[in-house]
Amino acid sequence: MSTAVDTEQVYAVAAAVFAAMIDGDEGLLTPWYGDLPLVEEPLSAWVDLHGELPGRAALVCEAATAHDLTRALLMMEADEEVDDQDLVDAFGEIANVVGGNVKSLLPVQDTLGLPEVAHGHPPAAEGHVAQELRLSWRGQLIVVTIWLVG
Amino acid sequence: MRALVIDDSRTMRRIVAGNLQQLGFETYQAEHGQDALDLLDGGLEVDLCCIDWNMPVMDGLTFVSRVRADPRWRSVTLMMVTTESEQGQIVRALAAGAHEYLIKPFTPDALRDKLEFLGLTAPAWTVEEPA
Repeated sequence: MSTAVDTEQVYAVAAAVFAAMIDGDEGLLTPWYGDLPLVEEPLSAWVDLHGELPGRAALVCEAATAHDLTRALLMMEADEEVDDQDLVDAFGEIANVVGGNVKSLLPVQDTLGLPEVAHGHPPAAEGHVAQELRLSWRGQLIVVTIWLVG
Repeated sequence: MRALVIDDSRTMRRIVAGNLQQLGFETYQAEHGQDALDLLDGGLEVDLCCIDWNMPVMDGLTFVSRVRADPRWRSVTLMMVTTESEQGQIVRALAAGAHEYLIKPFTPDALRDKLEFLGLTAPAWTVEEPA
């Protein structure tokens, strides 16, 4: 694993983002303990870091989890229908804020791309996996991955 | 008080605008810097612009520079609301003419504190003394 960002830093960023944007003060994001479930219908959101230390910050979870995140972020009812535009925008914005705050941890000042969202796992990024965190949000798996070159 | 929220994410526009409305602001929204400039150029008068940094078409920093260069909008308060949290980026934004800087993720209290610091108080959150 790279030393440019450590596990605790990335976890602190993700926890802060979820507490401020989604769950309120208490924050419901915790490390995932136990066996990893198979992600049957993955949805990914990512932003690319450009510059001296390029990389990518990505979130992957079940599509159903992304729907729940969107409802929570937009303060929708639990049974309210999430349209595709809201899903892509909200899930992408979570990746954007996580990526932007991870970028601030890097030793060089790079620029951030615009968020992208796709079904499946994110396309392979340049570089190596610097951090991969398996997290639990309301009992649902969310994987945060940081790729870095160098 | 009127505020223009400029962000390419409609999720973030809804969150920022919702918070501002809770604080008594009348809000308008733009998807990027050029969209916002077009609104201002068309006569929209606002007291505050909340501006994302990374946006397509025209980014937030360019928008700030363009607004500051035009005397028609000298009284508009400009606040960056962005994930760009490095010290160097904050300095760049302030040097370009932004008045304040709020880093995402933020809480409603953090937004309120910034607005209080800027002296942008709206009637809805003025505390009245009991009679």
